[in-house]
Amino acid sequence: MTERETLKADVPAESLVHQRPTNVLVVGVGGQGVIMISKVLASLSKELGHQVKQSEVHGMAKRGGAVFSHVRFGPAVFSPTIPEGEADILVALEWAEGLRWLPHLKQDSGTFIADTQQIVPPFACRNRSRGADLGYPRETVPDVMEKIANSFALDAVGIATEMGVAKAANTVLLGTLSAALDFPVEAWKSVISEFVPPKTIEANIRAFDAGRDWALSFDRQTHLKDWTGRTVRSPAEVVDSAAGITSTLEITEEWCKGCDICIKFCPERCLAMDARQIAILVDPDRCTGCRICEWLCPDLAITVHTQTNTDSA
Amino acid sequence: MSDVAQSEFNIRKYIREDLFPHFMCPGCGHGIALRALLNAVHNLGIDKNRLAIVSGIGCSGRVGAYIDANTFHTTHGRPLAFATGLKLARPDLEVIVITGDGDCLAIGGNHLIHACRRNLNITCLMLNNEVYGMTGGQVSPTTSTDRFTTTTQSGNYEPVFDACKLAEGAGAAFVGREMTLQTPALRDLIMEAIAHEGFSFVEVLSDCTEVFGRKNDMGDSMEMVLAQKSGFRSNSYGTAVDEPFKPRGMKTGVLHRSERLEYAAAYQQHHAEKSST
Repeated sequence: MTERETLKADVPAESLVHQRPTNVLVVGVGGQGVIMISKVLASLSKELGHQVKQSEVHGMAKRGGAVFSHVRFGPAVFSPTIPEGEADILVALEWAEGLRWLPHLKQDSGTFIADTQQIVPPFACRNRSRGADLGYPRETVPDVMEKIANSFALDAVGIATEMGVAKAANTVLLGTLSAALDFPVEAWKSVISEFVPPKTIEANIRAFDAGRDWALSFDRQTHLKDWTGRTVRSPAEVVDSAAGITSTLEITEEWCKGCDICIKFCPERCLAMDARQIAILVDPDRCTGCRICEWLCPDLAITVHTQTNTDSA
Repeated sequence: MSDVAQSEFNIRKYIREDLFPHFMCPGCGHGIALRALLNAVHNLGIDKNRLAIVSGIGCSGRVGAYIDANTFHTTHGRPLAFATGLKLARPDLEVIVITGDGDCLAIGGNHLIHACRRNLNITCLMLNNEVYGMTGGQVSPTTSTDRFTTTTQSGNYEPVFDACKLAEGAGAAFVGREMTLQTPALRDLIMEAIAHEGFSFVEVLSDCTEVFGRKNDMGDSMEMVLAQKSGFRSNSYGTAVDEPFKPRGMKTGVLHRSERLEYAAAYQQHHAEKSST
């Protein structure tokens, strides 16, 4: 008997088409607990008698890469993935990942739950000079909350850290998610207890309650008005904070023996060998003051001086 | 100690500038190790007048001479013996021994094992460049298998000493190994070694570009340090990386640490027991 025929046995065929499944998309960065959230949600909805399909991609997760997981549950689920613009709830464990997946959220009625934690991915730092522009999204929490009616941005990591269990940030988000779904609280807690290590059950339940309480006492207007959380600094601000710091490279020519280890290891390629076989700084503007040349100069000929110009402040 | 935000490290305060440029060849890792050592001394806030550097003979022995502190250039293989006497006579000094692989393991092997056995509170920094560099590139106890030196013209066939295992077996309280490429890690390891009570042995993987690398076609200093990096694994990784890819990869980092009774303390304890009976 195929799956379809089984379904037909208990549910009338026409109602299948109308009762569309609930789509929850969980996104984040490797190591944050995306998979854990989706597993808890999937097994909980299975226990409560729904049909569940879950699919995930965690390719380069261990290297801090993007992770996402589709969870669909309802009377009948066919495709394991959520089409664009069809997610009822988008849970983001990292701010930029959340923004990246926004097109998947159902327009107008979709719920956006996001941790405001920001993890800047390596490819957002193309220019390593001090004060350089980051390739990280500039949208602040109020910007996004203005656009999406059902949006909840909370500092889950901050809440979890305050409770002394920074790792339970994902459970805080589960608590917030539980407020958006119509499942009994006790069922949530029992499933969470099955998934977390035995020693951390108590801490995770506390984290869950904290997230749920936050969501239930959430008031959009005051939240927006009092928003003081971490937001991405605008390029101008970044430049300002770094403007006071300048680094200069001093090369003692008499000591340099021309082994060229500094030239080969310089990540910015701003050193070169001159005709006398002595290392020289050819591109001072590109030098970021990373000190690799200073550390590795066997002749102790390179010194990086970092000055903080207090008068610029 | 290390958590104190001190003045920025300026290496010129710790070296004898009039002796520079130093005598070491271009790309020699000993200079990098010297910087790491001096940075560790700076971070620990050790007064130069309270610092005693004892070194033996060889390229490594010359490293000590460039440090602006109480330095002691001793006979071949005997820096640990001199340091033992120095520490017993002046326990207030911070004694650091700079020695090489030949100096420490071949001619001074006897002194090494007994210094480890006694567990006197000194720090031994062994700069391992796999060769006797100063005397023209003879085979040393740590020369890798099949490497060419002036005394192994058809490649080295002698088994290699694992200095860290030797020191651990002989009873050193602290044993660590780090390569010069990982300079901040090397500095931190030296800081830990100096701070540890008892005999601390640190093997620094240095590179000899001119005498050893050139003869073995190992490229310039960059290629040599990168080859080192690919051959070693941090001890903190456990066996996760080694098992599938590097079954014989050697470990870096803190390899052994014990709270064995330090020699001077043991001596005083013994003396108190004898005099009370």
